[in-house]
Amino acid sequence: MHIPDGFLAANTWATAWVISTGTIGYCLKKTAGLLKDRMVPLMGIMSAFIFAAQMINFPVIGGTSGHLLGGVLAAVLLGPYAGAVVLTCVLIFQCLVFQDGGLLALGANILNMAIIGTIGGYVIFNVLHKIFGNKKGLQIGAAVAAWFSVVIAASFCALELAFSGTSPLGIVLPAMAGIHALIGIGEATITVAVLSFIQKVRPDLIYGFAGESNKA
Amino acid sequence: MNHSFIDEHSHIDSALSRLDARIKIISFFAFIFFIVFTAPGSILSFALDGLLLLTLIAFSKIPISYIFKRCLVIVPFILMTAFFLPFWQQGETIPLFQIGTFQANVSAAGWIMFQSVLIKGIFSVACLTLLTASTPFPQLLAALEDLKFPQLIIMILSFMYRYIFLIEDEAMKMWQAMKSRRAGGSRWLHLKAIANMLGTLFIRSYERGETVYLAMRSRGFNGTFKQSHNFELRRYDLAFLFNIFLALVSIKLLDNFLGK
Repeated sequence: MHIPDGFLAANTWATAWVISTGTIGYCLKKTAGLLKDRMVPLMGIMSAFIFAAQMINFPVIGGTSGHLLGGVLAAVLLGPYAGAVVLTCVLIFQCLVFQDGGLLALGANILNMAIIGTIGGYVIFNVLHKIFGNKKGLQIGAAVAAWFSVVIAASFCALELAFSGTSPLGIVLPAMAGIHALIGIGEATITVAVLSFIQKVRPDLIYGFAGESNKA
Repeated sequence: MNHSFIDEHSHIDSALSRLDARIKIISFFAFIFFIVFTAPGSILSFALDGLLLLTLIAFSKIPISYIFKRCLVIVPFILMTAFFLPFWQQGETIPLFQIGTFQANVSAAGWIMFQSVLIKGIFSVACLTLLTASTPFPQLLAALEDLKFPQLIIMILSFMYRYIFLIEDEAMKMWQAMKSRRAGGSRWLHLKAIANMLGTLFIRSYERGETVYLAMRSRGFNGTFKQSHNFELRRYDLAFLFNIFLALVSIKLLDNFLGK
């Protein structure tokens, strides 16, 4: 759902840029406060990790395949702010190196995937995690949040296209949400499986599970 | 392992690669701006944009097949969001093609919108491809920083660039090891193996991040970098910038007077 250039009207991508710049600026400040001078190396390597993890793609139907978004995975592992920063860097990298997503549309792509997909996904995860408790909560929360993060990000993408007058809302919203409801199943399954493994092996690396030592 | 996906063509010595990276960024960003703001249906404008693009591709000496392949990146998105536009009936319709007695009609507004979105998308991708394929990534980042792009993001991106090969290499090795052990079957059957692989990759990456930080810390790193890149504007760079803007403005004017 990386929006290329030419699909969005100027008022839409400009608004998206303003929202994204403000939010990511705040996230950068929060992350810097949490990680201090460890921030740059750690965020850089984690961005490279999410980028590598996105290579995993899973077949949907009819020959199409979706790849991991990794938003909820990053947010649960690193926290919502650092997760959003990592996803933003991955999106900038994809835009510059692979032309996956346009330059003027980058603000909208950051808004959809790094902010709504990642921070929004984390909010859903956090609520469910609190309701269901530690182990079960992690799995249920991550599954639901991962599915929703993909579907909500795709729906926002459809809304932006409709606002721009590119596609009629009545067609593009069901199309995007429908395809991504399927991709979301893959996202949810992989996110839960990866998180369960890390919870078993190194629970101290999961944000919010860690002792004070890990928060530096 | 095969991962020469970044900087694949940036070693090519050409008129474009010798340009100051900052000038290149400004020129291509301006070009993308112009393309995006072209009114739907201005065929003349699109044709001239295409001509300018082809000229730049020729200057860059980058194989056109590579740029074409890169342009295919937007195809899935088009299929998902814009493919149905011409068939979305509203207002007058125009005939698209005729087979025997069967005639396919498409909506005029939808068809123009589809055309414009397709051309704008492809041209912008070609612009970005030209920019990044003719500039080594570290130089691109340095130029962006010089143009007052947020420094923290640039620092993270330059770290990402340094480690992406290592992490990708590790991922590919694990993937190969896993493939050599499994006995066919769909990817869903091996979900647990894939998940454990990703989990292990995360833990190794995280630990590598910590080690790298400690190594940097012990050498006096305090969270900030002193960048030392000195870009120098030559007459050649300014001439290029002037010509690009001249071309873009002329396209705009020509379209205003001759188009429609």
